[in-house]
Amino acid sequence: MAAIEVKDLSFKYPAAERKALDQVSFEVEQSEFVVLCGKSGCGKSTLLRHLKKNLVPYGEVSGKVLYGGKETGELDDRVNASQIGFVQQNPDNQLVTDKVWHELAFGLESLGLDNQSIKRRVAEMASFFDIQTWFRKNVSELSGGQKQLLNLASVMVMQPKVLILDEPTSQLDPIAATEFLKTVYRINRELGTTVIISEHRLEELFTMADKVMVMDKGRIIACDEPWNIGRYLGGSSIEERHPMFYGMPSVMKIYSACRAAGVPGFMRKDREFSPLTIREGRLWLEQIAEANNVPEVDSSILHGGDKVRQNSTKNDADEIINIKNLWFRYNKDSGDVLRGLNVSVRRGELFCLMGGNGVGKSTTLKAISGNITAQSGSITVDGLKVKKDNFKELFHNRLAMLPQNPQALFTEITVEEELLEALYYSGFSDEEKAGRIEEMLDRMEISHLRKSHPYDLSGGEQQRLALGKILLLEPKILLLDEPTKGLDPFFKITLAQVLKKLTEDGVTIFMVSHDVEFCAEYADRCAMFFDGDIVSVGSPKEFFAGNNFYTTSANRIARKWLPEAVTWEEVAAWAEQVTTGSN
Amino acid sequence: MKIFKDGLGEGSTFAGYHPAVNLIFFIFAIGITMFSMSPAFLAVTLVFSWVYSLMLSGRKAVKTNLLFTVPVIIIMALINTLFNHNGATVLFYLAGNRITLEAFISGVVGALLLSSVIIWFGCFNVIMSSDKLIYIFGKAAPVLGLTLSMVFRFIPLLKSRFKEIHLGQRCMGRHVEGGRMARLRQSVKEVSILISWSLEAAIETSDSMEARGYGLPGRTSFHLFRMKPEDWKALAAIGATGLAGTAGCIMGRTSINFYPQIVPMQWDAVMIVIFTAYCLLLSIPIIIDITGERKWQQ
Repeated sequence: MAAIEVKDLSFKYPAAERKALDQVSFEVEQSEFVVLCGKSGCGKSTLLRHLKKNLVPYGEVSGKVLYGGKETGELDDRVNASQIGFVQQNPDNQLVTDKVWHELAFGLESLGLDNQSIKRRVAEMASFFDIQTWFRKNVSELSGGQKQLLNLASVMVMQPKVLILDEPTSQLDPIAATEFLKTVYRINRELGTTVIISEHRLEELFTMADKVMVMDKGRIIACDEPWNIGRYLGGSSIEERHPMFYGMPSVMKIYSACRAAGVPGFMRKDREFSPLTIREGRLWLEQIAEANNVPEVDSSILHGGDKVRQNSTKNDADEIINIKNLWFRYNKDSGDVLRGLNVSVRRGELFCLMGGNGVGKSTTLKAISGNITAQSGSITVDGLKVKKDNFKELFHNRLAMLPQNPQALFTEITVEEELLEALYYSGFSDEEKAGRIEEMLDRMEISHLRKSHPYDLSGGEQQRLALGKILLLEPKILLLDEPTKGLDPFFKITLAQVLKKLTEDGVTIFMVSHDVEFCAEYADRCAMFFDGDIVSVGSPKEFFAGNNFYTTSANRIARKWLPEAVTWEEVAAWAEQVTTGSN
Repeated sequence: MKIFKDGLGEGSTFAGYHPAVNLIFFIFAIGITMFSMSPAFLAVTLVFSWVYSLMLSGRKAVKTNLLFTVPVIIIMALINTLFNHNGATVLFYLAGNRITLEAFISGVVGALLLSSVIIWFGCFNVIMSSDKLIYIFGKAAPVLGLTLSMVFRFIPLLKSRFKEIHLGQRCMGRHVEGGRMARLRQSVKEVSILISWSLEAAIETSDSMEARGYGLPGRTSFHLFRMKPEDWKALAAIGATGLAGTAGCIMGRTSINFYPQIVPMQWDAVMIVIFTAYCLLLSIPIIIDITGERKWQQ
């Protein structure tokens, strides 16, 4: 019997015009791993919430959701609480208690278990998730990734049969996200728990999934094994591509684009086999390269980073942010976070600062925006030294920063008023203000949401609103802290276009990011930050060609033959050219 | 001694005992102190409370203890001397009022009582960590324990959220707008962001609570504490000495009369038993911690 069965489910939010869910039907088998993907606002969360009795949103419902053959609405409260686990997006908001061990025990306390049984189950879970070392810590001391693992563990401790995860990694950095998804996969494989997960980050999930469901405007438009999804979404030409195509893993994008252009498929034991992993993608290109006698390039002789180092200092005339020999530590006894940092950013470029967690990327942003004062060294922004006396001039149409959490900016009750608030000190006439707001609503594609409350927007929409609000301040230099966090792949493209347009208008963008794929595709220059200083700078091509591990999936797949290719389009074009060229 | 330098803090051996043991000790220690108006008993409790507080918090305890107790002693002694005119031994007349030796002494003794209670509470604060309070409240009612735990969770959360908001607003350059009104407007704005953000986040928190079965009947309260043999031994010692001390209180043997004339204590056999029991009671955590430290040094 299917673990979960959804029959003709339709749902409409009270004031909404169109249905959030439209005739959704599917089945999830026992111990299956199902990935649900789609643009943000397509109804993924609404659908997932219908699978858990007490989370069903208020509105008009028709159709049925069956759990183990029984309608979820009629499930016993205890069965509902323990057998269906639900993990949400935000790591912080789901935590209830002050200590890790108490959080783990929370669900079991609700079920009324005695101390001895709770202790045993908590111990088991702590060992499974490897959280013994921080078992007695306060939850406020944990990192985002640890918090989300704790949320998962404190659901798993109730031994659910079905685990539902609603974009669980959208607030995490890539390394923590990968670790989290691996744990979910382990739960599915080792404990046999049925998993239904919605995500934007599909690179890893496609290799784990038994089945992928693609949603669009409240409908399920594709539901199949992962290797077949590429064909559904890719269509036979660029025009036929579904927007969600751009969210698929690079390997699949390259493969389906190439297949559509007539490049031979990946043959394994005389059968065509769609590659899902980087390894399989490489094997496929190996077949192509062999068939067409493409020589290998020894990528180790490329020292992109070092070369670039010198020519980056050439063009000093037009630099807008200049950091010289910056040293910083948070207090006397802590270690240095910035160790003689030197950066120069040119006018009108999109500069991406990349690197792992806790290497000082965000600290650099804080230093540029004058939120911390360095012990030594200097920062010049647009000819002005960053210091208290200059703040007024610096922040008037010069410098603005987008914080990581958009909520930190929201004060009003509608999207329109929120944007108006940005112009409070601007001194424009009312018509002028209205015009600017109108223009910004269009630019950020949030016109249809103008009357909504900022908190009712989805994560991606909030991010757009916050960016719009900052842009109304008309900064010449824009600092961005992880702007692609929680965005769906489709809006990432829109965001890139917005940023491109800004740089064309002469705005300089300094961005801190973990998002390798985004930086590779859209940055003018990328820099690698490590141990308080920048270790390599260069255009994405030079930068990633010089890296071996810290690089895009497309580059990893093709670097043996084409080390300077960083985007999937380049690799696809190369594969096409190689095959058609030899014909 | 080394332990008086930085203090044992939460690492003290007595703090590692079961919360019930800690709580019962403090109930006896503070309770008996509050009902003892006699210089001998108060001298003992004051000395022990100082020693223990120095052991727990080290040098910094001196400053805080003096800061809290000296004003109390001065004010109470003064008030009682100036406004209480009972007592046989008149020292002098002030504006036609009798200033007596008895009133002065009882004022000082009362002040000593209050200051030792304050210092004992300082120790209580170190020993009774949030976990233990949650455990004790959870024993009374699971929901109480949970509420307390959520409070301890929210304080750091709100703090860090407010920091983030402040930073976010600075990123918009809002801190550079001059003028008192602009700054006031900005502060109100930041607080209002904090409130709406937190309320919004609370919806998710309550979803997460409900998803994990909050509200089902028969909730229990989990804890990591276990009564070990040492806990039972300490409990027996505290119970025996504490009950003896309480009996003394009830019999009125731990207080003396100040008015009209000070009556010295009667050191009979009963009195000696009560007094010794009281001294032993107050020294139990100190003995436990010193033996605990010895074990580490070996």
